[in-house]
Parts: sequence; C-alpha cells; structure tokens
Amino acid sequence: MAEYTVKDKLSFLKAAAGSGRRLLAPSSKDGRVRLAEVTPDRVAFDYLNTHLSPKDAFFPQTEKMLAFHKDAAKPGAFVYQPLGLDKIQPTVVFGLRPCDARGLAVCDRVFQNDRFTDPYWKTKYEGAVKIGLACQAPGPNCFCTAVGGSPFGEDGLDVLAFTKGEGLGLKTLTPAGDEFLKGLSGLESGGAAGEMDGLKKAAESRLPGPLDLAKAQAAPVMEIYNQPHWKETADRCLNCGTCTFFCPTCHCFDIQDEENERGGVRMRNWDTCMSWLYTIHGSGHNPRPTKTERVRQRFMHKLKYIPLKQGGACGCVGCGRCVQHCPVNIDIRAVAVDMSK
Amino acid sequence: MTSLADLNQNIQTAARRALADGRAEVVFGYRQGTAPFTAAPHFARTPEDCGQFVWTSFARVNLAAYLPKYPGKVALIARGCEARSAVGQVVESQFPRENLYVIGVGCQGMVDPEAVLAREKRPIREVTEDLTTINLAGDGWTASLPKAEVLRRNCKTCVCRTPKDLADEMLGGDAPPLPADDFADLKALAAKPPQEKMAYFKGLVKDCLRCYACRQACPLCYCPVCFVDETRPQWLGKSNDAMDTFTFHLLRAFHCAGRCTSCGACEAACPMDIKLREFNRLLEEEVQKDWQFVPGASWDQKPPLTTYRPDDEADFIK
Amino acid sequence: MHNPYLPYPVRIAMIRVETEDKNLRTFKFEFLNPGDEEKFAYLPGQFAELSVPGQGEIPIGIASSPTEKGSVLFTVNRVGQVSTFMHCMKEGDIMGLRGPLGHPYPLDTLKGKDILIIAGGFAVTTLRSTIVWMLQPENRPKYGKITFVYGARTPGLLLYKEEWSDWQKRDDIDVHVTVDREAPGWTGRVGFVPAITKEVCPPPKNTAAIICGPPVMIKFTQPVLEEAGYSTDDIIMSLENRMKCGLGICGRCNVGPEYVCKDGPVFTLTQLNQLPKEY
Repeated sequence: MAEYTVKDKLSFLKAAAGSGRRLLAPSSKDGRVRLAEVTPDRVAFDYLNTHLSPKDAFFPQTEKMLAFHKDAAKPGAFVYQPLGLDKIQPTVVFGLRPCDARGLAVCDRVFQNDRFTDPYWKTKYEGAVKIGLACQAPGPNCFCTAVGGSPFGEDGLDVLAFTKGEGLGLKTLTPAGDEFLKGLSGLESGGAAGEMDGLKKAAESRLPGPLDLAKAQAAPVMEIYNQPHWKETADRCLNCGTCTFFCPTCHCFDIQDEENERGGVRMRNWDTCMSWLYTIHGSGHNPRPTKTERVRQRFMHKLKYIPLKQGGACGCVGCGRCVQHCPVNIDIRAVAVDMSK
Repeated sequence: MTSLADLNQNIQTAARRALADGRAEVVFGYRQGTAPFTAAPHFARTPEDCGQFVWTSFARVNLAAYLPKYPGKVALIARGCEARSAVGQVVESQFPRENLYVIGVGCQGMVDPEAVLAREKRPIREVTEDLTTINLAGDGWTASLPKAEVLRRNCKTCVCRTPKDLADEMLGGDAPPLPADDFADLKALAAKPPQEKMAYFKGLVKDCLRCYACRQACPLCYCPVCFVDETRPQWLGKSNDAMDTFTFHLLRAFHCAGRCTSCGACEAACPMDIKLREFNRLLEEEVQKDWQFVPGASWDQKPPLTTYRPDDEADFIK
Repeated sequence: MHNPYLPYPVRIAMIRVETEDKNLRTFKFEFLNPGDEEKFAYLPGQFAELSVPGQGEIPIGIASSPTEKGSVLFTVNRVGQVSTFMHCMKEGDIMGLRGPLGHPYPLDTLKGKDILIIAGGFAVTTLRSTIVWMLQPENRPKYGKITFVYGARTPGLLLYKEEWSDWQKRDDIDVHVTVDREAPGWTGRVGFVPAITKEVCPPPKNTAAIICGPPVMIKFTQPVLEEAGYSTDDIIMSLENRMKCGLGICGRCNVGPEYVCKDGPVFTLTQLNQLPKEY
C-alpha cells in the first residue's frame, strides 16, 4: 500500500470531485455537520464528527426497494420490479471518522452475511471509495479506544488521511484506495506514514483505555442475559430509540408497502428494537414484552451477540453519539462494566 | 440556600425521610450524569440510594412521565413543571393522589446545551454547576456562564418556578417569578397568510427522524398504543415522508392541547433539536384565552378539552 | 446481482378452506415465469415470504414437498393485515413468493433413525411437507420407523384430512390423530398431544423427534420426551417470530445471537436451551 502527501486540502478535494465520482463529505448546514454531496469548498474540517452517523449514505432512513403497477392492460400488473439499483452512482466519501468506518464494516457483515447479500447496501457500500479522516483531537464523548478502535483506525476504510498543516497525509489501505489515489493529480509520494505513528500515539493517549469486556464475552449468553442490572437500567429508559437511530452499527429496518390506485412501492425504514411494535406477533404475543427485555436486547446485541456472530468484532465502536443524545443518560460504557462484573 | 451542596443534602435528607416515613417506596429524582450536559433519572429505594440524588440543570426529561401505572407509592423530587405534570397525571387518573408525595424544589431553570455550545466553541470536556452558574472546562481552559443566560427556551417563560401550591413539602428558596410567555412571535405568525404559516411549521420538522423521542419523553403521551403505532388500521405511513411526519407532530400537538405544562422534555429529548413546543404554544394560548385554564394548577379541575359542558362555546359550528 | 427482496410472481391456482372456523385456507401457487420453480428449490422445514403487492409480506412455512412438482402449497391463518387480505383473494390472482428461506429439517443427519413427528393445530404445515417427502419411495428407505402424532382442539380444526386418512391406511407410518375432547362423529383418539405422545413414542435409542405446535403443546410435550429419555440433541423444533426481510439482516427475529429466519427456524432443543426465550 502507498503513502502520499498533498500540500493543500482543497486542491485534493477538487481532484477527488473531478474523478468522475460523486463527492460525499462532511459539511455544515443549519449549524450541524452532516455527510452530504457537496462542492469541495464547502467541506468541513473543524468537526468532531457528523451529527448523524454516516450509515444513511449507504442505508437511508427510507429506501424504496420495489414497485408495481395495477394496470391490467399493461404487462406485469401486480408484479414487483426492483427500484433504484441502476441509479446508484460511484462515490468517493471523504472525512469518515475511523469509528464510523468501523461501524459500517460491522453493518457490512450483516448486509452481506453468510447466506445473503443485500444488493441495495452492497451497490452503495462497495461502489464508494472510503477516505477516513483521522481524529487528531478526539471529542469529550469519544471512546473508540475503549472498544478496540483507534482515532487512526483503518477498519472499513480504503484510505486514511490526516491533517498536515494546510494539507493532508494519506495512506492507502486497499487496492480500491490505491487505484483511486493513483488517478489523482497533485499528490506527492511518501511523507505520511512516519508522522502518522506519532500522531496516532498522541491522539490515543487522550482517549480512555480499554473496557474490560473479557467476562461478558467469555460467559454463556444466558449468564449475561440473566444478570440483575438490566432491570435498573431499564427503569429509567424511555424506549425512545434515539440511541438506535444515531448508532453507526444499528441496522434494523421495517419493510412497508404503500399503494395508491395506480400501483405501489415496497420500502424499508429504519426501525428500533426499543419499540414494542418491533417484535409483537400477529397473535398479540410479544416475545419482548417490557422495557427490560428491549433495553437488554440492544446492549446484548452490541456487546455480546455481534461479537459472537462476527468473530469477536465489538458491536459498539465508541463514537459516543448514544452517550451524548440519550435523554436519560444510559451510558453504554457503564452497561458494559455491569455486564463484566 | 447558600450552596448547591446544601441543596443536594436537603434533597437527600428529604428523600430518606419520605422512605422512612412510609410516604414512598421509591423516590424519583436525578443523579449526576456520566458525560457533559447529562443527568440520569435516579430511582431510590433505600437510604443508601438516596445519597446519589443531586440537583441538576441538565435534566432532559420530566420525572412525572414515569408515573403512569407505576406500582407503589412514589415521592417525586419535582421542579415546578414536574409537579404540574404530576398533578395532570392525577387529574387524568393515571396515578392515584394517595400514592404520590411531591417534594417541590424552587427551580431557576434548566440549561440548554445548545445555548452553551453557541457561546463556547471549544470542545467542552467537563461541566459542573453551582446555584447560579455553570462551569466549563476544556483542554487547558475553564470558563463560567450564568445559568440565566443559557436557559432552555421553555424555562425563560416558566410560570411555576416555585411549586409551593402543589408540593407536599418544599425545598430550596423561592425562585423569583418570570414574565409569562406573551406569544408575541406566534401572534405575528398567526397574522401571516396560510401558506407562510404552513411553510413555517413544515420547516420546523424537516429534520425529524420519526424516532418519537419527543413522545416517549412527554408526560402526556401515556397512551398504551399511540395512533402512529396502530396497525389495523394503520393511520400513518412509517417512512420519512414529509406529510406523514407533519401529521404526527400536528396530531400530537392537538392531543396535548390544554394539558401541556411547557416542561420542554420533548425539545430536550429531541436529538435533532426541533423546536417542538412551537406546535403546543399556540394551543396553550388558545386554551388559556378560551377557558382560563392553566394545566397542572389544580388537583381537581379536568382539562377543558376532555370535558363537556352544555354551555361550552359552539360558535365554530356553522 | 441476485435480489433476495424481489419476489417470484405467482398465480393462485387453488384456494381451499381447511377448517370449520374458516380461519385457515390453503393456497396453491404456480410460478408465472418459466425457470422460477427451479430457482425456488426447497426442502421440508423451509419457509417463504408470501408477498402481496401493496399489503406486505408474511413468513409462512412451506406445506408442500419438493417432490410435488408444478406448484407450492401454503396454509395461511387469518391473523393480520396480509393474511386477512389473502383470505379475500381469488383463484387466478397474481402475487409474489420470496424464498425459500431458513434451514430445512436436518433430513440428512436423521438418516437411519426412527422418526417421531409431533404436530399441534395448524403448525402441521411443514410436517406435512416432511412426511410427504419421507414417504416418497426414493426417500422412505433412508429412515426407520416413522410415527406421527397430530392433535387439534376439534375434528373440524384438523388440516389435510384426506392425506392423513390415506397415511393411516399405509403400513410404513404409524399415524395417531387426536382431538382434545369427544365430538359427534369422531371415532379417532381423544386426548391431548402430550398424553398421546407418552403412550406411543418409540424408545429414545436412535429416535429423533420433530415437534411443531402451539406454545402450550410444546411446553407439556417437551418434558414427556425428556422423561422418555430423548436427548435434547434429538428434539428438533421450528420457531416462529416476527420477521420482515427473512435474510438475517433486518434484525427483527433476533433470538440471542441467532436470527430465526436465517439461522433457524429449525433448532435442536440443545441449541434452544442456550438461547433466551424471546420467541
């Protein structure tokens, strides 16, 4: 893999935007930083992280998947056809934080699992060159290092960039990243990797040490499931689901049909395991009838089930969004400590 | 009251007393949060549990929202808005008066993190408070801000900062009253053409994620099944379609009309910082004007829109 | 790229009301496009999403056996929006079929064993598929003695009457059909499934049991088998949970680390004993 430097961030972004790929990058709108399709001059650099996680670039909150028509005179009435898959553009995403890139990699292992591949995700995710921007000044709610990540983490990225004066240092991590940078003008070879190590250590030293998840990960599922602390956490939970909407690894969705007199669509919408509706059977039986089961499900999924299913990869990447936004201060770090007691 | 430490002591003592006297099996209050600008609702069942209670300016929810169907006797360490909402729960038969013990606290208002972040751009790593100021610390710097300058919007026009008429017991000194909401901005909006009003309200919710944190945090939203969750029939689409989103907020506002105590929990819980109270404030004003009713001010008066009287005005029926 | 969300278009070739309360109807589907039937290659125990345009999808166990070529059978209970809508559809209507999904019963590892099949109510669907498949001349020699216990509350609630009546006449399967209490015209067994199971279950040595039924039946049948000495590895069950995608992605049917849709719905009791009872 290769390393490069550029003297000027803007000219790099212009080159990236001129590569024939759509440029998605953090930019500020209404006082909030979000990942959006922007012109190079509007890309933000002074942000801790995007307000929402970047998952919506690959897994939008609402995504129309299939459509059908009801006109019996035309062929194919009442037969669903795929929607949108042919309109997905090649993209370059700049400015992913390493925690979020790692979160997307967790999602990727769900959307492309051992048996099925989700074409709506795959086309967007694999069609994007993902350039991360290392966190040289981690935020107050950041804890990537507590869950196995790093502010200079490389998981899920094609290229890792860091700020170097007015310019950038760049390290390619995959063949896709290599190929993309090779095609851009204005890059000087070398001069990044050496400096990166020092910056990485400095940034990591400002973050918390690892959480002790050893017990929670080693114990049988039912032992952690039956721990008494769930009830106490659930007591104050509102089941609002804010954590799930902001989480970069929460990937659950609902599928809904909508129709009018001419036809209809089938779409998926973000859903949340905090809702009682999520699990209720048609018969009225609800396998997770109370707040306690629902709260437990979320944390078990992040800290126990995903590691079990994904070869030890933690389902929490330490972005801190749920800690910041939970209206009742349910802190996943505290839950992790309870689970490992 | 001389210091926040004294107030915290008083809260903890009152909570222990409520448990010891048998007035309550559980005391609802707050404990210190684990991150800047957070506080955790804290439910104490033992004298030791009570040692964690603190007074906080970072409460994002309304403790009365936990009352409906809560088993057993509850003591509520209540700000004015929480006391009013608790009264509302009793009036609306969601919680029995005899199981409720209100420990009122004079409240100078909650702090709006967004207002602080607008004033202080450096990353804030620690937030502490005393009675009238909040103290911020970052990498190698500290700063203080008067709470009065960074209050939540709803707290700036609070009509019940000292809930002594509702509380069974009061702690802390009286918080000086504030001028009530004059609704001047909304009256100006009301005079505008319908398209402009529509655009204003639609614009408010354009970022809504339909996470329903507002509803979950609201002490009025205790319906076992919310209309947006009903499936047979399904009244509302589940996508982020603008009209479905707008319909949710509009209908929720009507369901809350004449019941809302302006506690601001909806706005504080909203992760997209939507000014949700704009939907409620106009209705609040209407209810005050037409029925001279203030929600949560009386233990026996039902909200006007849940009652019928033969002499109700009916001039809207043409 | 294969799109696993895209249903195969099918035509409703036949609708049969199965039970006296009319809550269960069996639908026979024929694929509209040539070649789709081959792509929909399934085995007993798998399920599919029945996909009604504009209404939604429901996960339903496949009641036919892959040996019954030309069509696929599903028996649908009228519960929610989609199933109610389907109960109002007509023969000839077009809808969708998405699958096959989930894992089948472990037909390979069951080879050489005696098989005890226990069904309650309308959960008999995938077990009908299994029995039809096992009774095929090319499959029957792979298994030992086959015992089938099937119960419902009343005779009118028993599905597939013609078929099990035929099986009762065969000598390569023991069929015990029972109803909860005496009923006019009923000459068969009377009693609950657990009691009949206790009476007729083969010795546990080299026997595997497949059980599908309502929770209350499972609750009382499981101890009968354990007391009889069946190992939890030889008790095979099929779970139901609310599902949407059927692909192990949307998250809804999660039971512990497993997705009922992708990793199940078939589990051994040994596996279930290590999972939360969130189904």
